[in-house]
Amino acid sequence: MNSNIEVPKPRPINRSRVSYRTASIVPTPALIDRARLIYFDQKQSSPKVPRPAPIDRSKLRYHSLGTAVPKPACIDRSKLRYRSLGVVVPKPALIDRSKLHYLCSAGVIPKPCPIDRSKVEYSEPQLTALERNIHSPITPGAVNFPCFEITPELEAKADQRIAQYPADQTRSAVLPLLHEVQHHFGFISPESIDWVANKLNLEPMKVVEVVTFYPGFRQKAPGKLHVRVCRTLSCAMGGSYELMDKLCEITKIDRSQEDGHKDTISVSPCGNFSVEYAECLASCGTAPVCLVNDDFHEGITADKAQALLDSYQNA
Amino acid sequence: MSDIKYLPGKEPHANEHRLIFKNVDREGWDQSIDTYLNDGGYEMLKKGLTMDPKAIIGEVKTSGLRGRGGAGFPTGIKWGFIPPNNTKPVYLICNADESEPGTFKDRYIVHQDPHMLIEGMVISAFAVGAHTAYIYIREEFPEAAIILEKAIAEAREKGFLGQNIQGSGFDLEIYVHRGAAAYICGEETGLIESLEGKRAYPRIKPPYFPAAMGLYMCPTIVNNVESLCHVVHILRMGGEEYVKLGTPRNSGTRILCVSGDVKHPGYFEVQVGKITFRELIYDMCGGPKDGREFKAVIPGGSSSKILRCNESFSIGRGDEAKELSFWDLPLDFDTLAEAGSMAGSGGVIVLDDSRKISWVLNNITHFYAHESCGQCTPCREGSTWMRKISDRILEGNATPDDVKTLEEVAYQIDGKTICAFGEASAWPVEAMIDKYRDELIAETSEENEFKSPEQQEREKFLISS
Repeated sequence: MNSNIEVPKPRPINRSRVSYRTASIVPTPALIDRARLIYFDQKQSSPKVPRPAPIDRSKLRYHSLGTAVPKPACIDRSKLRYRSLGVVVPKPALIDRSKLHYLCSAGVIPKPCPIDRSKVEYSEPQLTALERNIHSPITPGAVNFPCFEITPELEAKADQRIAQYPADQTRSAVLPLLHEVQHHFGFISPESIDWVANKLNLEPMKVVEVVTFYPGFRQKAPGKLHVRVCRTLSCAMGGSYELMDKLCEITKIDRSQEDGHKDTISVSPCGNFSVEYAECLASCGTAPVCLVNDDFHEGITADKAQALLDSYQNA
Repeated sequence: MSDIKYLPGKEPHANEHRLIFKNVDREGWDQSIDTYLNDGGYEMLKKGLTMDPKAIIGEVKTSGLRGRGGAGFPTGIKWGFIPPNNTKPVYLICNADESEPGTFKDRYIVHQDPHMLIEGMVISAFAVGAHTAYIYIREEFPEAAIILEKAIAEAREKGFLGQNIQGSGFDLEIYVHRGAAAYICGEETGLIESLEGKRAYPRIKPPYFPAAMGLYMCPTIVNNVESLCHVVHILRMGGEEYVKLGTPRNSGTRILCVSGDVKHPGYFEVQVGKITFRELIYDMCGGPKDGREFKAVIPGGSSSKILRCNESFSIGRGDEAKELSFWDLPLDFDTLAEAGSMAGSGGVIVLDDSRKISWVLNNITHFYAHESCGQCTPCREGSTWMRKISDRILEGNATPDDVKTLEEVAYQIDGKTICAFGEASAWPVEAMIDKYRDELIAETSEENEFKSPEQQEREKFLISS
């Protein structure tokens, strides 16, 4: 198999006709005699704008430096070297095109072998904004909760909640249904959003907007013990920041990834604990307070943190 | 009243006058309906259902009851706003989304005395003609939601809810609706949006006054837990008798929740306006912690304006005007409004001299930046800016100009939003800057102006050349 392809030889270029841009010497621009300049406003007879007084630069103070800036030295322009002014660019040598190797004109190209698609690894698909919002990152806490599935009990509970609202206003049941899901499955997964939307005959977007609005709904699995520490004024004065630090120390939770707004839950590597700051749990008189799962605890100062967690391990 | 025994250590103070909190911390008390019935419960419901609804509204108007949720709007007048020729169903909503920092009164009512709330709701629903009522309870009270649902089931069993209540022909269903930890759901139109299953974006008033266009665009009355409980006592005492409690235009009792730097924080039910700050904080709460002095008080939840303890105020108009020091101010709606703050929801937060104002400001701006619903631009952006600037002040990276910028941002939010959240987030900042400007500026430094990354680059360049 001979795959030599015949390529027409290019015409030689008549280089004598080529003119190079920087081959000539560029003259130094003449100095402008500013005294002879006519200012724009002076041309018109009225109104006459007075020529601006020369600025005494020795009296200027430069802003934002704090200290007085030394007057910049005058630039001696005679010593400056301009690029491309003095140097004559040599004319390039002629290219001997007969010696050039053109790509793929010499070698034999092997026939591509068929792709074994079973061995191809696909990269993660790019998520759209909507998909990112319904995306549930997998945390170590996921082992504590069953995967979402539609059970008859769930359906029955949902129907009972839907019946609380007028027949034409079933959208009201979005929050109660999401609470049911979160209670049983730990968090709101994309599949559960679809289930709620189907159940209430809504577009899934209407459910997603609710999930992402309310801090009470979480989109990733918390630990087996989810501790919500109140961080608002009275509790902060009572020492809830210290309580949070202590809890993180005991449970080895790293809160550095927490962003305080969208992703507030931090899960321990073992998956047993997770912590989150809550806004005002309405028991300011007994600060600092926290919620462990659904149990309320008051007066939990940092030194009682260990005892609090222990009380759950025995149970 | 004297035969009621309270748990040891939880006895009410002598200055208290307990109506709503009568059964809170009571010895031998539980949430069951039998305990409530043994104490004469649901008698007012029976009495109310024999009355004319208009007469009940009249009694509540006579009583001068003002809403206990924060705004202090007269409850009877609110009920009267339902259009007279209305043909749509009317809804009653109990706002149990108690999320104002510093307030913790509703927690004890719904946890310890749920039947008083249900009785108040039945009477109120009968008065306004509602046949469906919702209790919007915050997500952070999971236990209370269970207690209330159990109480509702008990009441239905005994015939105090459901069809033809006590043979009067009046039907009412009460449902519990749990929120999801959003502060904005305490705003009545935000609450209604949330109850409709949407994001809790408050509606603009006018035209969306709940009494005309509320839940599902039907007339809706939204009342605080405490306000609804007061209805039971108004019916028992009669409006004429109730109005004698408290002071003129500030009738009845109200629950004050004291937290922060006092020896004995807690809740106190007192006659409105009969208690001054001195009596509340020194006599009832035991004064400052050892070796400390009081610095400032936030009198009505974190969104009210802070008051300095060494301030004095001119209260009253014309000839009746008098100069009162902070400690002699009575805690009623009008006096606190004249002092430049508000009685709000009754959450009194006390700060002593160990607290830096910049730290308090930072905590509060973090709260409001987190809780802004994001509907109106001034509040959504402004609350975040305020948080960032107060972070800078707290970390010591601010310039004196930052305090001015912070103040300007606050005034740009105030009054430019759909709901009162804008004011709630701006007022504390405005007041703290106004009253503690020197302290805040002392924590800033002119030199920080040169701490920006760009400036550091520029300085490095100048030094090297």
